[in-house]
Amino acid sequence: MVSDVAAMEKRMRDGSTVAANRIQTLDSTSFGPMVLQAEGRIAVEFMSYGCGYCRAIEPLLQQVAENIAADETIFRVNIAADSDLASAYGISGTPTFIMFLSGRELGRAEGPSPDFASVRDAVTGPFLS
Amino acid sequence: MTAAEIGVKTRIVPLLLYDGGCATCSRIARWVQRSASHGAAEPSILARPVGNDPSELRRLNPDLDIWDAYAVSHVIMPDGSMKLGGEAVAEVLRRLPTTQWMAALFDTRIVGVRPFQMVLNLAYHILDDIRPLLGCDSCGRPKPWVRPLQRLLAWAKATGEPRATPNKTLHFRPLPAAQPRVVGRSPQTERT
Repeated sequence: MVSDVAAMEKRMRDGSTVAANRIQTLDSTSFGPMVLQAEGRIAVEFMSYGCGYCRAIEPLLQQVAENIAADETIFRVNIAADSDLASAYGISGTPTFIMFLSGRELGRAEGPSPDFASVRDAVTGPFLS
Repeated sequence: MTAAEIGVKTRIVPLLLYDGGCATCSRIARWVQRSASHGAAEPSILARPVGNDPSELRRLNPDLDIWDAYAVSHVIMPDGSMKLGGEAVAEVLRRLPTTQWMAALFDTRIVGVRPFQMVLNLAYHILDDIRPLLGCDSCGRPKPWVRPLQRLLAWAKATGEPRATPNKTLHFRPLPAAQPRVVGRSPQTERT
């Protein structure tokens, strides 16, 4: 935590800007059309901004989003803002990934290790098997 | 107060951002708001939860990342700069009428270091770590050093629970009286 504050203060001094976001956040209104009625491979991360573990994997997830196949999309659902979606999908902890193929749930992954390979495997694994 | 109004106000007074999902942080923020408005027409500092909209935070300050805002307390100063962690706490105490006297303490330098600010930074980190014990739904799993304390607290709470005690005639409480078993259904309740 001490190093967190130091790193943030260094970023502020350096004037570096907030990292680019490649993951679109969905709410209960957009979830249906973007996930359930959409074609193709979709991974949805159920997360909250207050969750330290979600924060740890966030930069890795951004990297994965940049490197996955063009026909796969990663979305995010903030369970603090959309608790109804979280309860509808029985989310008991964050981060939980649910993978959908043409609107059908294909698999889940809970709390992958904070390294690139684990996050990538969590997000793409169910589509490979 | 709307986000736009907060945006205008923060050009005049600092804004404390806190984790709205954390009961401890919310209690402290309420105290700050009460103290900041005490006996004054305008509050000396504003407080608002971080919320869930990253773009709204970036409108307050382009360098403000929502993940950082949840991880560490932030105070956005009227000049656009930000204070984090223990420095943010010091700034809040500096602005409140009842704790203004502490400002000199935190600014005191001895051999180039600010010892009181260092103590405050340490206190901030300890409080931040033990928030799950004090009430914080959004904090997640406590830090490893806090987990034994959490187990100890749970054990202490459990010892205070009422237990079944033997009475004078029986060693154990009698079982509840058995309910008569319904052998057949009455014609009124039977569905057709």
